[in-house]
Amino acid sequence: MNKKYDAIIIGAGVIGAPIAYELAKKGYKTLSVDKRADAGEGSTAGSCAIVRAHYSTEDGVAFAYEGFKYWLDWENYLDHVVDEKGLAKYMNTGSILIKSQGHKWQDVKNHYDAVGVKYEEWDNDKILKHVPVLDLHEFWPIRRPEDPTFFDEPEKKLEGGLFCPEGGYVNDPTLSAHNIMRAAEAKGATFMFNAEVTEIRSADGKVQGITLGDGTQIDTPVVVNCAGPHSYKINQMAEGVWEGCNIKTKALRHEVMYCPSPEDYDYINDGYHQSDGDIGCYVRPETGNMFLIGSEDPDCDPQEWVDPDEFYAGKGGHGRDNQLSEEQWKAQCYRLGRRIPTLQVPNQPKGVVDLYDCSDDWIPVYDKSDLGGFYMAIGTSGNQYKNAPVVGTMMAELIDACEKGLDHDKEPFQFTMKYTGRKMDVGFYSRKREINYNSSFSVNG
Amino acid sequence: MKIYVCVKHVPDSAATITVKGETEIEEGITFLMNPYDEHAVTEARRLKEIFPESEIIVVCFSKPGAEGTLRSALAMGADRGILVTTGHRHDPIMTARVLKTAISQDGQPDLILTGRESIDSEGMQTMFRLAHLFNIPAATNVVQIETAGNDVLVSCEKEAGAREMLKLAMPCVLAAGKGLNNPRYPTFPDIVKARKKEINIIDFEKLDIPEPESRVELVCLAPAIEKRTPKEITGSTTSIAEQIVSILKDEARVI
Repeated sequence: MNKKYDAIIIGAGVIGAPIAYELAKKGYKTLSVDKRADAGEGSTAGSCAIVRAHYSTEDGVAFAYEGFKYWLDWENYLDHVVDEKGLAKYMNTGSILIKSQGHKWQDVKNHYDAVGVKYEEWDNDKILKHVPVLDLHEFWPIRRPEDPTFFDEPEKKLEGGLFCPEGGYVNDPTLSAHNIMRAAEAKGATFMFNAEVTEIRSADGKVQGITLGDGTQIDTPVVVNCAGPHSYKINQMAEGVWEGCNIKTKALRHEVMYCPSPEDYDYINDGYHQSDGDIGCYVRPETGNMFLIGSEDPDCDPQEWVDPDEFYAGKGGHGRDNQLSEEQWKAQCYRLGRRIPTLQVPNQPKGVVDLYDCSDDWIPVYDKSDLGGFYMAIGTSGNQYKNAPVVGTMMAELIDACEKGLDHDKEPFQFTMKYTGRKMDVGFYSRKREINYNSSFSVNG
Repeated sequence: MKIYVCVKHVPDSAATITVKGETEIEEGITFLMNPYDEHAVTEARRLKEIFPESEIIVVCFSKPGAEGTLRSALAMGADRGILVTTGHRHDPIMTARVLKTAISQDGQPDLILTGRESIDSEGMQTMFRLAHLFNIPAATNVVQIETAGNDVLVSCEKEAGAREMLKLAMPCVLAAGKGLNNPRYPTFPDIVKARKKEINIIDFEKLDIPEPESRVELVCLAPAIEKRTPKEITGSTTSIAEQIVSILKDEARVI
């Protein structure tokens, strides 16, 4: 006899774990399966875990702001569960969005007003008072160091930024997923590791269960795809699912750099998270008084779409494998080096290379599928970490409503956010949507 | 003071090295300045701060791609560079002859700095061969340098905790150890300045160096597969801390 669960969640990262948690709270007997050895060890581990509210759509802003409340109240969210590894910490540094041509910051400001996000407008002097190491010249457009004009002297100055005091980052993204796993287990959820899904079994348009690499079959009427960069491979295993998605997902290679802070600047204690569209970088403090330097994927940078299995096996060659590339190291560090002229850039690249599970319009797919009982929380595109606890709640409610008979495609589920009280049309994240051209088509979401 | 700093263009220690054929590695990886040489460049810059009239010249014998490593050294404070290019691998005997010739053709050294070893071949002999060719003294694993008239007083680390104080007459060859300084990495303005600094590129063949009577030949490269044996450290926080200190002290001998 095969084992049977009410729901199987594929992936125990920061998206999969909260879905298991919320379904377990609703009384579902859940099983989470993950090919890695522990929770959050896949692409979650490579996340910068930034918590910010600036998104290109009002719904995006609202969703992220709702997420803030979970991070600010982490122990409560976990129902005070004990995790032997300790709890992840929310580093509430505050978040600066530099006003630049690289961001539609006026839209963000309108969305902040509409949603009620707490923020302040800072002029350049105010920014410099808080971050004295900055050079606030405008360096736009974003270029690469291989381009001789990269080194041109700037003329104009920037025009300040928007400061959001509740923003920040989570110090250990892997641990945060582990915390949620422990919280889910306390509600009856089961987790299975080192288990790779090789088949999604279905009959008569309904999910029947999954089969693992060792041949084990487990039965369930509900499967949720939270496989991160492997999401498209899981969708392809499920009958008609991949074909039924108008918005597809694929894995995008992404590099994040660590560069030591200028000697006289205590970035780890005094620093902020900062999004700087003028140089296409976002930064936050990292252990060791380092700057963590992420890229906002400017058009001039290469985009490498890769096979996740090949990538994690170290294959693909220079610029496509899981090793930092010197060119991108220089691009990101030099861009930040213009903004922070005292930043020392070591000769040896240091950082993280991992994958985004990226959708066609960089907005996730939180939806049912064309196969009965098969759901998706995919295409998180490097920008959904902060939303993960909200996604857990929303997906559990969506799944529960659909399993009780709701036709979400015809009558999209309306999700009420617990803290902000806003209603959200979950149809916004539909797999059937047309590409959303309001999106930034970048990690900014 | 004319300070020549010899730097080597080596694979990034974090790169995955793949052996290609018998004696080559896949070169589609990041190459950068040998980390020990970063200490040598940083020290040259420190000396220039004391003796502002000094000139720092970086010298490298490598494939043409090494220009990036020279630019890094220039950004770290060197004034100009000399790159002797070759398409082949050479042993330390030839490398020392090339460096000697390139330096002698350029000027009279007061000080020659190198790293104490290269992280790729770890031969630890080029600096001694170079000193021999110049007929000048050498010291290695140098962790402190002081000038005293025409001499330098250096402190060399022999093993963990033991140091030797040496006095050498200038010119001399000093090979930098890790404890010499914290490398001073370039800022963006330094990198901009370095773009305009001069690099004299010389073809190895044009130096017309006679073939040495003997040489070291690389026969075969094989990947070293290290076996990892993880060990769990358990107990109270104090006991765990004590065990870690004892491992670092007695097994790893790093403190």
